[in-house]
Amino acid sequence: MWISSALTRRDFLSRCLPANLAAAAGARLSRLRFAAAMGGGHALAPKPSHHPAKAKRLVFVFLTGGFSHVDTFDPKPALAASHGKPIPAFGLRPDEARSLPLLGSKFEFQACGKSGLAISELFPCLGAMADELCVIRSMHTDIVEHFQATLAMHTGSATVPLPSLGAWLSYGLGTLNANLPAYVVLAEHLPYAGAQVWDSSFLPGEHQGVRLLPGPRPVADLEAPARLVSLRQMEEVLLRDVDSAHFERRRSDSRLRARMTSFETARGMMREVPGVFDMSGESGRTLGAYGVVPGDNKSFAWQCLAARRLVERGVRVVELIDTGSHDNWDSHGDMETHRPKALRVDKALAALLGDLKERGLLEETLVAICTEFGRTPWSDGGNGKGRNHYAKAFSCLLSGAGVKGGMTHGATDEYGANIVLDPCHVHDYHATILHLMGLDHERLTYRYGGRDFRLTDVAGRVLNPILA
Amino acid sequence: MNTRACWEARGRQTFLGFGMALWMGLSLGVEAVASTNHWAFKPSRKPDVPTRFRASHAGSNPIDAFIFSTLQGQGMAPAGPAEPAVLLRRITFDLTGLPPTPEELGNFLKRPTEKAYAEVVERLLASPHYGERWGRHWMDVARYADTAGDNADYPVPEIRLYRDYIINAFNQDMPYDQFVEEQLAGDILAKRGPPDRHAERVVATGFLALSRRYGTGPFELWHLTLENTLETVSQAFLGLNLKCARCHDHKFDPATMRDYYGLYGIFASTEFPWAGSEEVQSKNFPRQKFVSLVPEAMAAPSLSAWQARLAALRSKIAQAEKLKPGDKPGEERWKKDLEALKQEFRILERPGSPADLPVAYAVQDGKAMDAFLQLRGEPGNHGPMVPRCAPNFLAGGGPLAIPDGTSGRLEFARWVTRPDNPLTARVMVNRIWQHHFGRGIVATPNNLGVRGDAPSHPELLDYLASRFVEGGWSVKAVHRLIVSSKTYRMSSGKAPANHSRDPSNRYYSSFERRRLEAEEIRDAMLFASGGLDLTRPGGHPFPPPEKWTWTQHKPFKDCYESSHRSVYLMTQRLQRHPFMGLFDGPDTNSSTEARRVSTVPQQALFALNNAFVENQARLLARRVLASTASEREKLRELCSRAWGRFPTQPEELLFRDWIGRAAASLKDSAGANGGAVEEAWTGLARVVLISNEFMYVD
Repeated sequence: MWISSALTRRDFLSRCLPANLAAAAGARLSRLRFAAAMGGGHALAPKPSHHPAKAKRLVFVFLTGGFSHVDTFDPKPALAASHGKPIPAFGLRPDEARSLPLLGSKFEFQACGKSGLAISELFPCLGAMADELCVIRSMHTDIVEHFQATLAMHTGSATVPLPSLGAWLSYGLGTLNANLPAYVVLAEHLPYAGAQVWDSSFLPGEHQGVRLLPGPRPVADLEAPARLVSLRQMEEVLLRDVDSAHFERRRSDSRLRARMTSFETARGMMREVPGVFDMSGESGRTLGAYGVVPGDNKSFAWQCLAARRLVERGVRVVELIDTGSHDNWDSHGDMETHRPKALRVDKALAALLGDLKERGLLEETLVAICTEFGRTPWSDGGNGKGRNHYAKAFSCLLSGAGVKGGMTHGATDEYGANIVLDPCHVHDYHATILHLMGLDHERLTYRYGGRDFRLTDVAGRVLNPILA
Repeated sequence: MNTRACWEARGRQTFLGFGMALWMGLSLGVEAVASTNHWAFKPSRKPDVPTRFRASHAGSNPIDAFIFSTLQGQGMAPAGPAEPAVLLRRITFDLTGLPPTPEELGNFLKRPTEKAYAEVVERLLASPHYGERWGRHWMDVARYADTAGDNADYPVPEIRLYRDYIINAFNQDMPYDQFVEEQLAGDILAKRGPPDRHAERVVATGFLALSRRYGTGPFELWHLTLENTLETVSQAFLGLNLKCARCHDHKFDPATMRDYYGLYGIFASTEFPWAGSEEVQSKNFPRQKFVSLVPEAMAAPSLSAWQARLAALRSKIAQAEKLKPGDKPGEERWKKDLEALKQEFRILERPGSPADLPVAYAVQDGKAMDAFLQLRGEPGNHGPMVPRCAPNFLAGGGPLAIPDGTSGRLEFARWVTRPDNPLTARVMVNRIWQHHFGRGIVATPNNLGVRGDAPSHPELLDYLASRFVEGGWSVKAVHRLIVSSKTYRMSSGKAPANHSRDPSNRYYSSFERRRLEAEEIRDAMLFASGGLDLTRPGGHPFPPPEKWTWTQHKPFKDCYESSHRSVYLMTQRLQRHPFMGLFDGPDTNSSTEARRVSTVPQQALFALNNAFVENQARLLARRVLASTASEREKLRELCSRAWGRFPTQPEELLFRDWIGRAAASLKDSAGANGGAVEEAWTGLARVVLISNEFMYVD
């Protein structure tokens, strides 16, 4: 290590000055080196991965409500052919056996890209990016309630809240930029299970996701009150001294250190966040690609662009949650209601992938697009146009660093009811994401209450065939 | 739409690996234990105090005997006693949610004896601020909010009476059995007299009235509201989670659908108030079924006068509307008169009751009936009728002797408070313990059932429960017992060996440091600055009912400034209060058994930049500077107001030096002499108020 051990944390922090984007690459690298040299001195300092990996960051896109696999990424011609045919089915739960009519998809599928990946008309723009996408068609989860399934997709636990995937990554890898949180969540509305989905649970508090609220003031209390800079700096030093002296006598309490770290992150945010959301420097072409119109500071397109800007600045995990616990993909009544939901996200997500690729960021950024569960191949009763929740099979996507594009993994039967090839449980999805980020899901553990906890509990297999 | 069925039913194992083993108390052997043998469903007996410890280590407090004997069994030594200043700050926040004053600190430090400590405890228990702190704990459990939770989140101005009832009950040390009975059946008890307790007993049923409302029309999705009632009643008083039994009988849980719908009938026979909602307003229905605070006979004249007045106005309006052009006193005049009549009508009608008749958001008996079992929890899918009863699987549970034509709430309440009810006393002493030590003896205070955590000290829990009942259900007596123990007065310093053996401090080898709760943070800052109004405020400044037009698209959403204690802040259901939300305030929609503690940079941003903190720091600085005392004295005041202790000598030097340098730097740049000193002290006050030492109680 070229850096002297006499480097103090204050030095480290004072050098973490706002990223001047012109000099960003160099500055980021040197900051990284400082941070690495700091080792454990900073709770969010980067840590070595378990194995070399392409992916340095994750963009985790969660589409709330359960999008239907057979209407989006898993075409079922046989289902359309048997439309209306009653089959032994069930409503919300397998123990509610009854006969329900099969419901063919009303959405056309097209072979997209050079790979010919089949994607429905709901996602024409993502379709154009097909060669970057790996569609896992054999996802399954355990519980068909939104709340629990959403929690499972985020924490691996459908029951009690445990640390979120983003929190595990922050804990496992640290951050690339100490001036921003390691894990940022852009969510206009609260999802099912609320803030638990980005919580750090028993992991130290600094790994908790920080929710930024799309809108004019994504972060409250960001501007310092009018005060002389000299006094503000003196206060900063005094607070650190007072808290450090207090902590010295209470070293076993990591919460105290977490709160001290939160002030450092907060000051970093004061410097860097305004720049993140100042999109005046974006070209008209970029804005147009995402679909951000002048004055927009809230739309999903805006959020996707903000995600790229956060990734660019070294945020380890950026999560995008498209809608909240109502008015989402939960199309019980009519699959037609998928259309506006898809329209809202398709162009922006495709633009995000394209933009990351163009800037060379996709080579070190993993993008996961997922939902909590799928929807039944049969209709949900009623008027027969909608679908119920379905945990036995659904589709999720991976794209970017370390992932083969233009491929599918796993398969379901002719109706999309049962997995017939290479099942992928939520734990497997998580294990694969961790692997792609350089972490072994069996070695990423945290000892709590006398036990080693993992994101994948006692399960999880890496999907080797999709690794590039 | 999807039902809210339980995941437990599916009994899936994949997600239930060792995480579950820890969290769900499988160490208890949930699946192996026949559920009716579950410890908490059997009557508690008073265990013997471990004798070995009675005389020696533990002194005379039985709590220490239980705690220290377990610690010894684990091979851990208890921490030494806390410093007097630490103890004073701990007990003062603990019992009142406020810090000690410099005078109280100075007095205690002069003679920090057993006797002086006992006097401090008595002073705090007698303080009106005790009820504001401990009442707030109960408000968490009761999912207290100032709005109804319907799609437009209509305000309920009257519910503050229930809040005040809770605070008063704790301050008066109302026997807990009476507190429970009044919240479940106060309206029925009120009718039996005496008249001077009529109003507050009616108000007490605000606990039930607070059940979450859904939808846009009156009494829409009523089964969900009753689900919230049952959930809260069973969690709050019995520490039971009956939710699963709404839809199915459970393999491992003894609560069956018959238990659920037996209880359901009791509340389905109860008439709830309706605070308003989108549809109610648009269709000109007033608020409905609020309960009079005066006995029926006394209310009748006012009610009938009001109805007569409404009828008269209604016909006057109808007449005016029918006027032919020739009979009108001129078009403009006619329009104006008609609008005046309508406005008069609205003002009279919209509150839903006569202006001179005080009412409460409370319940009363409705049409008495048993409920149908709802198959799969679907209200339209009727199974057999279930007679109203108390949960059959509990010792002493089963059918209730309900007089004809009544809901059975009183009989249920009396069953809950029977001294041999196995749960009621355990649940409450566990809550009291929880708020003294940061975690209950059972760490899931709303769930002592088979899927709750196992108690860390089962015998101590039973001992406390027995003492509680024997002592006439006095909550303050339990406080006295707990805070006089050595266990409570231990230092929060952790021996490294203990920390590695027992990182979550389940065995209480030291006192568990805690972050201040949201209310305490705000109150303590205001208290330090001198800006806290310690009186009880009146009603919230809601707009008058005739102006209420909220809809689901434009729901009621407001946040009122206040300088009163945080327990009195207006809190909503569909919107989180920004401050309470930021610092982990309670869920206002369902019972909160324990506050979470998060540490996020937004909290630090609030500390650094929010005008509230800025103002309190400035006021504190001015307050300190206003005295003529020496700089040393000023520093002592500043530190003691924020930290509950006087500064050490090195700190004093550091701060004096800092102030000198800060003032000098300000003088240089600003050229404002007097201002520079205040600015410097404000800077110091700000640092002290946002430091970890302020935020945490040792």
